Amino acid sequence: MTTMTDVTTVEHGPQTGAVKLTMLIAGAVFLLMMIFGLAMRAAQGALVEIEPGLFYQLMTVHGAGMVGTAGLSGATILWYFTGRHVPLIAGVFHAFLALFLLGVVLILGAIFLGGYAGAWTFLYPLPAFSAGQWEAGAAVTFLLGYTSIGVGFLLLHLEVMRKLIAAYGGIGGAMAWPVAFGRGDPKDAPPPGVVAAMASSIFNTIGIVIGAAVLVASIVNLAFPGFAVDALLAKNMIFFFGHVFINAAIYMAVIAVYEIVPDYTGKPWKCSRAFALSWTVVLFFVMAVYPHHLLQDVAMPGWALAMGQIVSYFSGIPLIAVTAFSLLVYLRGANGMRWDLATGLLVLGVAGWTAGSAPAILDGMIVVNKVMHNTQWVPGHFHTYLILGEVAMAFGFMAWLTRREGETLRGPVATVFWAYVLGGAGFVLMFLVSGALSVPRRWAVHLPEWHLQAQIATAFAALVVLAVTAFVLRYVARLGRG
Amino acid sequence: MQLIVLAISLVAMALIAFTFLSAARAATLPAVVPRTDPEARRRRVILGLAALGVIVTLLSLRPWPHTIPGTAAVVNVSGGQFYWEIDTDTVPLGEPVAFHAHTVDVTHGFGVMDPAGTILFQTQAMPGYVNQVSHTFETPGTYRVVCLEYCGIAHHDMLNEFTVAAR
Ligand code: HEM
Ligand SMILES: [Cu+2]
Ligand SMILES: [Cu+2]
Repeated sequence: MTTMTDVTTVEHGPQTGAVKLTMLIAGAVFLLMMIFGLAMRAAQGALVEIEPGLFYQLMTVHGAGMVGTAGLSGATILWYFTGRHVPLIAGVFHAFLALFLLGVVLILGAIFLGGYAGAWTFLYPLPAFSAGQWEAGAAVTFLLGYTSIGVGFLLLHLEVMRKLIAAYGGIGGAMAWPVAFGRGDPKDAPPPGVVAAMASSIFNTIGIVIGAAVLVASIVNLAFPGFAVDALLAKNMIFFFGHVFINAAIYMAVIAVYEIVPDYTGKPWKCSRAFALSWTVVLFFVMAVYPHHLLQDVAMPGWALAMGQIVSYFSGIPLIAVTAFSLLVYLRGANGMRWDLATGLLVLGVAGWTAGSAPAILDGMIVVNKVMHNTQWVPGHFHTYLILGEVAMAFGFMAWLTRREGETLRGPVATVFWAYVLGGAGFVLMFLVSGALSVPRRWAVHLPEWHLQAQIATAFAALVVLAVTAFVLRYVARLGRG
Repeated sequence: MQLIVLAISLVAMALIAFTFLSAARAATLPAVVPRTDPEARRRRVILGLAALGVIVTLLSLRPWPHTIPGTAAVVNVSGGQFYWEIDTDTVPLGEPVAFHAHTVDVTHGFGVMDPAGTILFQTQAMPGYVNQVSHTFETPGTYRVVCLEYCGIAHHDMLNEFTVAAR
């Protein structure tokens, strides 16, 4: 059984090389997808001209690429830190990475060679109704790309769960249920990273299995158009999968915060009763909340929509009152803590994630959703907890992998850090403002009265792209120097 | 409604940003013993958020937001790649109107903007379903119909309009 002390004493997890390479791929793909995002926002501001067909291809590759890379970086963080506590089979990670890259090739081919532009959400039956933009084969190729990535994630999560279950005495042991439900002593509890790894592996596995089912149904529908699926059922499955997958990316990335920040504050992150309870609550809430994507589907049972709204609100409590609150307590309790790029970005990640929950919860209310659903309010809130949340944590982890002793957040690196914060905050605020002004999301062409908002957003986005270029170059330079 | 939601969000986000910034500053200083037990404060935060959640839930779900009044006049709308068909071009003022949303192909989002361009309501037009949404128009004028669910390469061009006038 691993104990708390390992968290701070073990310096290097296994497979540091493969992990560093994967994070390099993730960083580079984030940057490329951000450039596509910049192009889209500039097109919405009429600063550049992009044909609608190409715009929607870019939107599809940006959505799929970003969500996939968030998952990739989150899972790599999970793998690295789980490897500190239990031995993992290296080949599983190699297979995961290979299947991921195969999926990327299929997705890029489907979009840029096949013209697929059915969005990352492949909402049934859109892949089969292209209005002449793509052939069924391109849609099938896209969906096979997802399938390949999904299989890789399943392998990774199964290996992680198998080892954690064996080492900590079952699912309950790894989830710290003895502590959560009264009898156990927090001193015997698994490290926080293990609890988070177990919970996120469970829900991501369930999400991917449901996702695989709807992928197969969509592929069969493309091959045999006579085979029809209930559109509402398919939508439920797609959003269950999509919601769980992107949330899993964030919940996996936060493991880096639990494992790295204590090295700087000097206080171990404790698996307290509140912590253990919150992860069990999260396990169920992440899966129960997905109907908040279907609040305008009045054919859904009323109880499901009410549950979507209520769970959406209450999901904020474990985040705010446990993860964010504990981080704030540890920071305030630190004694002359040294900030560097790694800790700056990791703490930014938790702050941005927490901040993004406010507009998300509001949009999860049926009355608000009726006027804000599918406006730019939606990309507004999720870019908040992605750019300033998951992605910040991923770059924080990369900065930590390549850290130098005694470095501080000063000089040029501080400028880049604050450029990222400012650019990111300005960019997401402009989405929120546009959403509040009734600008629809996913429109290739915007009305002239909306151009100014998109132009301001483009300037902030350019700042983000510059800062991320610097993060990636710094990482590469340091990897090169070893 | 939208601007109130924006204001609430901005205040909440600013508060969160400020809390993190001040903790980040405090981290660099010598440690201070907190005045109140953090665990007691944490319990207060949880109880406070939970109580607020119960109140907000009750206030926002009753009456049920998707209720369709029995007396509403019915207007059928049908979406297809890439057009909206509406079975009337004039909609009555000051009385509830129920829109029945159909689709002939993929899912579309039936959304209506007032003459100033503010979204008033929306529902999904989904294959195999007829979803309903009702609204009582308070001002006469020309209202724009837009598509609020991505449906393909001319999604942004799925525009139409209708007039609201007293009967
Ligand atoms: C410089 C940074 C970024 C820029 C400029 C950018 C830009 C955009 C734009 C313009 C859209 C379409 C908005 C609309 O619906 O009208 C979009 C959608 C989206 N973005 Fe980003 N983005 C950035 C970063 C990210 C990151 C870091 C992630 C995730 C990790 C992300 C995930 C998404 C997703 C999932 C969508 C939805 C695609 C869809 O509607 O199908 N973006 N982004
Ligand atoms: Cu969701
Ligand atoms: Cu549309």
